[in-house]
Amino acid sequence: MSSRINLDSLLKRVEKPGRYIGNEINQVAKDPERVSCNFCFAFPELYEIGMSYQGLQILYNIVNLKENIYCQRAFAPNVDMEKIMREENVPLFTLETKMPVKEWDIFGFTLQYEMTFTNILNMLDLAQIPVRKKDRTEKDPIIIAGGPCAYNPEPLCDFIDMFLIGDGEELLPKVLELYVSCDKDREKFFNEAAKLNGVYIPSFYDVEYNEDGTIKKLCKLNENAKDVIKRSFVEDIENIPYPEKPIIPMVEAVHDRACVETFRGCTRGCRFCQAGMIYRPVRERSKARILELVEKQIKNTGHDELSLLSLSTSDYSQFESMIYDVIDYTKSQNVAVSLPSLRIDKFAFNVLYRIQEFKKTSLTYAVEAGTQRLRDVINKGVREEDVLTSISEALKLGWGHIKLYFVIGLPTETFEDLDGIVDIAKKITDINYEINGRKGGRFNLNISVSIFVPKADTPFQWYPQDTNEVIREKQRYLREKLKMKNVVFSYHNNSTSSLEAVFARGDRRVGALIYRAFELGCKLDGWTEHFKEDAWNQAFIDTGISKEFYANRTRSYDEILPWSHIDCCVSKQYFLSEAEKASRAVTTKDCRYGCNDCGINNEIYCPLGGIYNE
Amino acid sequence: MNRYVLKFRKEGYIKYTSHLDLLRLFSRSFRMTDIELKHSEGFNPHPKMSFVQPLSLGYSSACELFEFETVEHFELDEILRRLNSVFPKGVFAELCYEYNEKNTLASLVDAAGYRVIIPFCGDSESADKLVKEYLSQEEINTVKVSKKNGKSKTVNIKPMIRDIKAEVRDGALVLDLLLDSGSYSNLSPELVITTFLESTRLDEKRYNIEVERTGIYFSSNFHF
Repeated sequence: MSSRINLDSLLKRVEKPGRYIGNEINQVAKDPERVSCNFCFAFPELYEIGMSYQGLQILYNIVNLKENIYCQRAFAPNVDMEKIMREENVPLFTLETKMPVKEWDIFGFTLQYEMTFTNILNMLDLAQIPVRKKDRTEKDPIIIAGGPCAYNPEPLCDFIDMFLIGDGEELLPKVLELYVSCDKDREKFFNEAAKLNGVYIPSFYDVEYNEDGTIKKLCKLNENAKDVIKRSFVEDIENIPYPEKPIIPMVEAVHDRACVETFRGCTRGCRFCQAGMIYRPVRERSKARILELVEKQIKNTGHDELSLLSLSTSDYSQFESMIYDVIDYTKSQNVAVSLPSLRIDKFAFNVLYRIQEFKKTSLTYAVEAGTQRLRDVINKGVREEDVLTSISEALKLGWGHIKLYFVIGLPTETFEDLDGIVDIAKKITDINYEINGRKGGRFNLNISVSIFVPKADTPFQWYPQDTNEVIREKQRYLREKLKMKNVVFSYHNNSTSSLEAVFARGDRRVGALIYRAFELGCKLDGWTEHFKEDAWNQAFIDTGISKEFYANRTRSYDEILPWSHIDCCVSKQYFLSEAEKASRAVTTKDCRYGCNDCGINNEIYCPLGGIYNE
Repeated sequence: MNRYVLKFRKEGYIKYTSHLDLLRLFSRSFRMTDIELKHSEGFNPHPKMSFVQPLSLGYSSACELFEFETVEHFELDEILRRLNSVFPKGVFAELCYEYNEKNTLASLVDAAGYRVIIPFCGDSESADKLVKEYLSQEEINTVKVSKKNGKSKTVNIKPMIRDIKAEVRDGALVLDLLLDSGSYSNLSPELVITTFLESTRLDEKRYNIEVERTGIYFSSNFHF
């Protein structure tokens, strides 16, 4: 193995050098020469983004519990650091040992967001590893990837050797151990791994296309290739190891706090939400386990903020007693509690009041759509009167900052639905005048509008995304109508949203586009200041790839979708029936009021189906 | 009152941790080891702790000082033991003192020592000559940019340089600087480095130069 890289002369020339030094409290130290497998976990974004990601802490912990495997970390360097690394020929290194990533056995990327894809290519290149699979040899690490974007892995097939689909806690260590038990014989390893649930090896398949550009068929090239790759599941979430000593970031991360996942999955069934589909079924940790983890994490990190993580915090089945126990403990430790993804109903509201007491921050409501009709289309079970009652209560109790999230471009949306957004904003400002008088007091209403991106494995996977022109028109419309006192309107960049749509439902041919964009210098695309729209447009021209084909086209229900062979274990039948109900604005009940036959219980016990009826 | 001063080293890559990030790290460390810090009164209470003299990003130090006040009384050894059990590699607490004077130590800082290491191929005679030349200038003028309003003005830093000793060791010119420090008169070693490189025409990039703080000195008779 080569020696550690001396970074002193580099770090003196960059901003926030603390991002690159590792050595944080609770970092794991092992001797890479004394383990049988060296794994590098990469988050393809800057340190302060990646270190806010709980999945990294979970997998880092669980892999390092294996004595014979060392999991180290790498992140995307910022542009200033990258420039100097390239000038000085310093390869991408891991934070733990400052040794080149290219020397490790397996290099794994987490795929959280489509706009990090170019960072993966750039990180491979910085690591001095050939970016494309076909240019690599046995001397290079095996490149793997997992995470929500792996449910449609096809756009990355040119670059990734193996995808892990589904929960990673059991699958990732299993795959790494398999590599060891195959004596690092790659052919044997790939053949054996392909037999595991959740493992997808793209080179075992080839895709044929029809003349109209749609997929004709998927051909298997290896006898171990399965027709369908089922996702992996963690069945016993209660007993799976969870970080008790998370790494404390050295440079302040975006979310710098203790974090305990209360449950995985969501029973609400919002039709636009990929997370609500691919993390099924709901699996809860017990209250006792949650409290134990809260205490250990706070004790072992000294954090002064705790966040409870889930897709819908107050849906935890014993939320009331759990949250009050947590608050009792955190108060005694002077720790603040934050509850992201909280549906602010009457009860949740009392909880917030108790948490925030004197320090009232802002309240956020994810309303998603402006009219009841459209909320029924997307199956978002939020009623306007509930939101308004809750906000009225909040204003009376002294909250002054209200944030509302909406999505535009949803299937069947018309300008009436946009007027609905304006209408809600108007009603809220009126309520404020009633409560705080004509001057309005210390009040502002933030209306944040993002753009709908149809995702794989959702009932809307066949639907088109609005074109940029239509989106711009809708944004312009809202901007004009929302020019109201105390209302701030903010919206997303539509170029990135249409790229997200291309990647979210792209096929293998989209890989050429990503590669070309990388060649043209695209990276850190999630950052407005780094996003190069012209280069992306050029990449579309150079590769002849049609944005419209992927983003704005309506798929027929019998089309073979690029991710058809990746099985999220929610049935196509369910997606179809949900899509049909959406077109008629018919809602589907929360699974807790009775099973909706999504198919997940054919694979795994679904503990919460119908519990409200018992 | 349970007021203490902690003397610690900051070495290796941890020198790239900024002042604020290190402050956060200390606050975490106290919480992790159940040493409860006293909080200020008022609307927005904050723990009573501070670094005696902030250290620039990228400097290592053999003698950092940190003042804090605890709720309960602790044995000095116990504080050292607890903090060192959680500090990351590169931060090491060496000594702890009780300190119950009226003024904060920070307000009494008078001077600071720095060791500057510059790659160098000459011998010690030529090194001495360079330092002599540098100090023989009537005035050492440089441009200082105000952090407050961004305006730049020319200052003569010579009166703030108390001493410079030079030595050649392992292919490097080692300068031991003693400079004004604190709220009354403060000189950053960066200004000395820039003017020294300029006047001696040593063509060396700043990023190849290492700086270590070697001491913090006080107007009263404190010595840590």
